[in-house]
Amino acid sequence: MPARVATSAFDALRAASPEPHGDAALVQALRAIVGERWVKVRPSELTAYDSDALPGYRAQPSLVVLPGNRDQIVAVVRLLAERGLPFVPRGAGTGLSGGSLADDAVIIGLNRLTRIHAIDAGNGIAHVEPGVVNAVLQRAVAPFGLHYAPDPSSQSACTIGGNVAENAGGPHCLKYGVTLNHIVAVTVCLPNGELVQLGSPTSELDGYDLCGLFIGSEGCFGIATDVWVRLLPVAPSVRTLLADFPSLTDAARAVSAIIATGIVPAALEMMDRATIRAVEASIYAAGYPTDVDAVLLAEVDGLDAGLDTDAEVIAQCCRAHGARSVRIAREPADRARLWQGRKKAFGALGRIAPHLVVQDAVVPRTRLPDVLTTIQAIGARHDVAVCNVFHAGDGNLHPNISYDASDAEQSARVHAAMSEIMQACIDVGGTITGEHGVGLDKLGYMNALFDDASLAAMCAVREVFDPERRANPGKVVPVHSCREWSGRPSHAAAH
Amino acid sequence: MLPAYLCGVLPARIASAHATRTPLRPRGAGTWLTAQRPISGDVLDVSTHTGIVEYVPGDLTITARAGTSLRELRDVTAAEGQWLALEPFGEPIGTIGATVATASDGPLAPTFGRVRDLVLGLEVITGTGEVTRAGGRVVKNVAGFDLVRLHVGAWGTLGVITEVTMRLRARPEVDETYVVTGDPRATLEAWLAPLASLSLAPMALELINAPFAQLLGLSAGTTLLIRLGGNADRVAAQRRALDALGDVVRAPDDLFARLAASTTPSMIAARVSHERTRMFDTWRHVSTACTRHQAWRPLLSASLARGLVRVMLPPPDAAPQVTDWGEFTRTLAPPGAHTAWEQLPADAWRHVPSAVVDTLSTRLRAALDPAHVLNRGLLGEPFSARTGDA
Repeated sequence: MPARVATSAFDALRAASPEPHGDAALVQALRAIVGERWVKVRPSELTAYDSDALPGYRAQPSLVVLPGNRDQIVAVVRLLAERGLPFVPRGAGTGLSGGSLADDAVIIGLNRLTRIHAIDAGNGIAHVEPGVVNAVLQRAVAPFGLHYAPDPSSQSACTIGGNVAENAGGPHCLKYGVTLNHIVAVTVCLPNGELVQLGSPTSELDGYDLCGLFIGSEGCFGIATDVWVRLLPVAPSVRTLLADFPSLTDAARAVSAIIATGIVPAALEMMDRATIRAVEASIYAAGYPTDVDAVLLAEVDGLDAGLDTDAEVIAQCCRAHGARSVRIAREPADRARLWQGRKKAFGALGRIAPHLVVQDAVVPRTRLPDVLTTIQAIGARHDVAVCNVFHAGDGNLHPNISYDASDAEQSARVHAAMSEIMQACIDVGGTITGEHGVGLDKLGYMNALFDDASLAAMCAVREVFDPERRANPGKVVPVHSCREWSGRPSHAAAH
Repeated sequence: MLPAYLCGVLPARIASAHATRTPLRPRGAGTWLTAQRPISGDVLDVSTHTGIVEYVPGDLTITARAGTSLRELRDVTAAEGQWLALEPFGEPIGTIGATVATASDGPLAPTFGRVRDLVLGLEVITGTGEVTRAGGRVVKNVAGFDLVRLHVGAWGTLGVITEVTMRLRARPEVDETYVVTGDPRATLEAWLAPLASLSLAPMALELINAPFAQLLGLSAGTTLLIRLGGNADRVAAQRRALDALGDVVRAPDDLFARLAASTTPSMIAARVSHERTRMFDTWRHVSTACTRHQAWRPLLSASLARGLVRVMLPPPDAAPQVTDWGEFTRTLAPPGAHTAWEQLPADAWRHVPSAVVDTLSTRLRAALDPAHVLNRGLLGEPFSARTGDA
């Protein structure tokens, strides 16, 4: 477990008091809405909510309230609005940007809202509550021959509400798109407690695309109480290929060549030598060769006719760019084995050191070979071990660094390296996050990516939804881009 | 970035309009302005704001100034074996800026995505004259609030789009179009029932009515147009599968392009959207409504996967026409469906309810265009309400 990092002077006070929150009336009022056991105030209970999956960042919420349905969400948000209190919506806490951290704000946990209200197979729409876990939804719709396309690596734990907040992606986004492309409507409890429906479950509207605007708003525009997701037919046939390359650069060039053929693979994932070795040394060993610089996992799906041709074209691209061997799997068990190492790569990397920082940046696809080389150089310069496991087809990099967050000097080197990596990605025309969100972690890079006018426009839009800036305060857009923030700034302490 | 000759000109012009509360109407190729939308204000000409800013074929993205025509984008990308898989209804002289501003799409949308799915980044001058950027040039991007989605389909009421980055696709190895006609006595449901079980993944699949088929030079009768793409094996297998639907004939490769281009600026056009399981009911309802209102030879097309029926009528001066526009606009769609009017005669717009009436939309408009200078009369207010303040 990460070392406990004190983030506020109030920590000591909290620890000393069994019921630290001073506002007993607030706690009582919240308990009247959601029930006694669904308001958490004790330090031992709040600890579970003081971080997400991003190491090095901790913040203690003032309290945690866990509504059980839409009406309770509305009642809770209205109560907080009346009192002018900030709040942070939170799903499963699997986020990688510190987006669900609450520094002395109220966390509204949505994990109890796990109902799948309806699956309309004919129209390919499911109506779900925000706390439904991504993988649970996948299992529920599978008997209809359908699937929900976004498949983040954390899908066994992350929730649809969290996916909406972050505009989550996943390996299969290359062909199928990100969360934005698969949500048709949301009901949102605005920060003032008003319920609005954005988008439509039954028809395409004209007017402003408020549903699209809401997706990826990281909890700053309100809380999604209902989500209507689009479901797609499961592809009738799938082929999975694994190619191994003596050179990472050659593997990156193979990616460009595959994309240029016009075939849109369902997924095109790459792992570098460090990742391969970590996977193969773990219980998730997938039989990847450990003496190569990169493996490329490619998947094509769709109609059976012509699929073998596509797979062979991809195999040829790999061989033409120096692949040592290419395996093609057709059967589900064989495919699952090839995927296992990729899906569990983060788990395997977690064994190497106490902490793993999973970064997220996107570069134009043609710049992948250069950027991968630059990242290795940055890692070497700061004496940190950067490994890469990423969505190569999208140019979506996940440079990861295993380290010990309790070692201040090591943490400082990790942060310096990450900053340089982000800047290198921006310099080639890329962006600072492709699917993890800005949250707290990327806040400092927003000024490098957007000018003041663009950030001010974002602030202006945020104020439409949340004029008092009480919903997930201090996230996404740097505070100085807006008018002066009235609350205590959220801050992160990395040690 | 704005080129030197415009740097400062467009933003300054808008800032000045903001300061003096003078309405402006941005104009590209003018293909939808001529559709008699009731917009007040001085013309802000962005038609000379053209050209490709950046195109790296290997990235499968293109950045172009907003006044660049769809035709130019088509030609530039075709030279690299790529395309913008959008092909919206309308003429190819339309600009990419207007395409994004109006969220115009076409038969390819169910497979390749709508405009909202294909735009990666925008440069937009807000109603105060601020040059802002949203999104970027990469294919995945969640940095900051998604103002790209906000401007798509906003009809330039939240800002003037000056630059657009779009996602491209490599052109398929084989791209063939087929025309299928069934037994004219069968219901649509009976005719098209096998579609659900066929091994088909078409690039586009559009149902058109008899007048539309005739306009395109096809044999009379309700007709299914299918565009197949991919490698030769995949296209051949799907072509064979089509036999289950009736008589199949290979069509000229430009059939879908002609279908899209059949929407000219003077026509009347609307989209009626409902659940796809109600597609045929929507089709019949729209068809009946046109007959009841003496609409002359309505051209109907439907995107089956999307539950979308599109109807076009010839311009009022070209044919006998609907007399009661109020009743027609109210009853064209079946209950529960949504009608989006694309083009109407000038005096008919007052019957169309505003698309921007909810609190959030109204406040967003006020946030990005506080003096309400951009495209006054579009989306937010009926024509009659804006004449006094123009």
